[in-house]
Amino acid sequence: MMAKRHIIAGGGTAGLNAIRTIREYDRGESKIVLVSAERPYSRMVLPYYLGRSIAESHVFTATPGRLAQLQVQAHIGRRAVGLDPAANTLTLDDGTLLEYDDLLIATGSSAVKAPVPGADSPGVHSFWTLPQARGVVAQIREGSHVVLVGAGFIAFTILNAILALKAKLTIVEIAPQILPRMIDRTGAEMVEAWLRRHGIAIRTGATLTAIEEAGDRKRLRFRQGEDLMADVVIMATGIRTNLEWLNGSGVGVNRGILVDDHLRSNVGNVYAAGDVAEGRDLVTGAPAVHAIEPTAMEHGRVVGANMAGRDVAYRGSLLMNIVGVCHLDIASFGAWDDPTAETWAATRPERWAYRKLLWKGDRLIGAMILGMANDIWTTNDVGMLKGLVQAGSGLGAWKDHLRRNPFDIKPAFIASGTTARLLPQTILGQPSVPAGQVG
Amino acid sequence: MKVLRIIPDRCTGCMRCELACSYVQTGTFQPARSVIRVSPFEAHTSYAPYTCTQCAEGWCMTACPVGAITISPVGAKVVLDDQCVGCKLCTIACPYGTIFYNPQTQKAFKCDLCGGDPACARACPTSAIEYVEAETADWLGAFAAERAPRHLELQVAGAEVR
Repeated sequence: MMAKRHIIAGGGTAGLNAIRTIREYDRGESKIVLVSAERPYSRMVLPYYLGRSIAESHVFTATPGRLAQLQVQAHIGRRAVGLDPAANTLTLDDGTLLEYDDLLIATGSSAVKAPVPGADSPGVHSFWTLPQARGVVAQIREGSHVVLVGAGFIAFTILNAILALKAKLTIVEIAPQILPRMIDRTGAEMVEAWLRRHGIAIRTGATLTAIEEAGDRKRLRFRQGEDLMADVVIMATGIRTNLEWLNGSGVGVNRGILVDDHLRSNVGNVYAAGDVAEGRDLVTGAPAVHAIEPTAMEHGRVVGANMAGRDVAYRGSLLMNIVGVCHLDIASFGAWDDPTAETWAATRPERWAYRKLLWKGDRLIGAMILGMANDIWTTNDVGMLKGLVQAGSGLGAWKDHLRRNPFDIKPAFIASGTTARLLPQTILGQPSVPAGQVG
Repeated sequence: MKVLRIIPDRCTGCMRCELACSYVQTGTFQPARSVIRVSPFEAHTSYAPYTCTQCAEGWCMTACPVGAITISPVGAKVVLDDQCVGCKLCTIACPYGTIFYNPQTQKAFKCDLCGGDPACARACPTSAIEYVEAETADWLGAFAAERAPRHLELQVAGAEVR
């Protein structure tokens, strides 16, 4: 019998986790071909490369040697441009035609710039890929004025790095608040106050209309308010899934590639994972695109197991984000903005602490937490809030206790038996193997 | 494998485990840096230590984007300091709340079973923490549930609820 031929399109977190998981099960029996526009690296760590706390070499998740050890035939620098599911073939941008028995589409997403004149001029950066990160690294100097357009999660991941480079920072955001898709208005106001206290200028509700050349600087124009002069402009104005190349292929797409609980598309031997996949949301049960690292990782592992011939159903991905700015931690989980949920919020302004808990009956379906990184409430409760949402524990009388004492998470977590509910949970139905110990 | 078995009924709340843990983990007596944390129940009339169960999934380990968490020879999930970049993803991925971030070192830290000779178990004067061959388990759930009725009567001071 011929060895099974797997193609992994995309060398990001989802693709690499799929490869490792296939090898965890088959120990090299199958043929794996990786098609990746870039050398595999972790987007999550690019901010630390920007801040010079790690070397560029630290960002790579698989060196050529590691890929060889995993017996992966890699087409690096190539993109998939066409898919023929009837013929089981993938066409690459250099015309190469590859045949597969099954295919993983993990082609991720790309940064999108605000559609204003000047956005594509040199010196207006995105911060999404490694080459883009290199571009920003080369531009920021001590004392540079950096203007960050967009105040979402990606923008926030690079704030510490920009400050560590001793640059002056202004954030502009079109929405009325910062982090509009991660925290609510009250939390955002606390974070804005915190950032201003650390010397960061913020302009919310600001619609950028143009970026103009001004000598060796840039002039940013807005619908209202004064122009801003910048040495470096970084646009973190959103991402879009890389799906265009699938047009006409017959693979079913909504906001992402629609996948079942085995992460299969409507084409039985074509899987999707990570930012391009629209799979089950753990909390709502509805299909959702969760363009976050943990979802890419879990998706990748589940697909890898299924490609290796196992039968692994996925319970769904939990939306979660955490970002720290100047030692203030900001995190949200699950249905943190569900308008239909019963919602409580509490602040302790003197400690920069904020909590929001969202309920369906006596189950926590979402949470928001803000607090100092060295505050015991923050460090103890971040994980437990995730655990309560993930386990879906019925909290009974603890619900009312948490209404009166929203900072007393730990006894509720422990007494509700949440640990016992969580311990049997594994993504693959077996203990996990460390990434470095496969192959 | 050998795990930390917690027998909460034996805990007196003396906090020696926290002191011993922080000393072995950081070289200083700083309970705030301990990865075993004693929780009070029922208005400080009973106590129980809580730490990483070394769960089968290893949510912290699989979440790490750079493979900086691995399994040590004694079976503990451990952070490799030279690999950890401090992105905190492990701290939201761990549903037990037992991996932490140190703002000073900018690294994650957690229970590593002290390489097979856990200081907390050695320091505990009442054997409330044992290092034994066992399946890991929810050591505190029943103990805490039993004490829930009294805890639920308490109002923890200070929160402005809106």
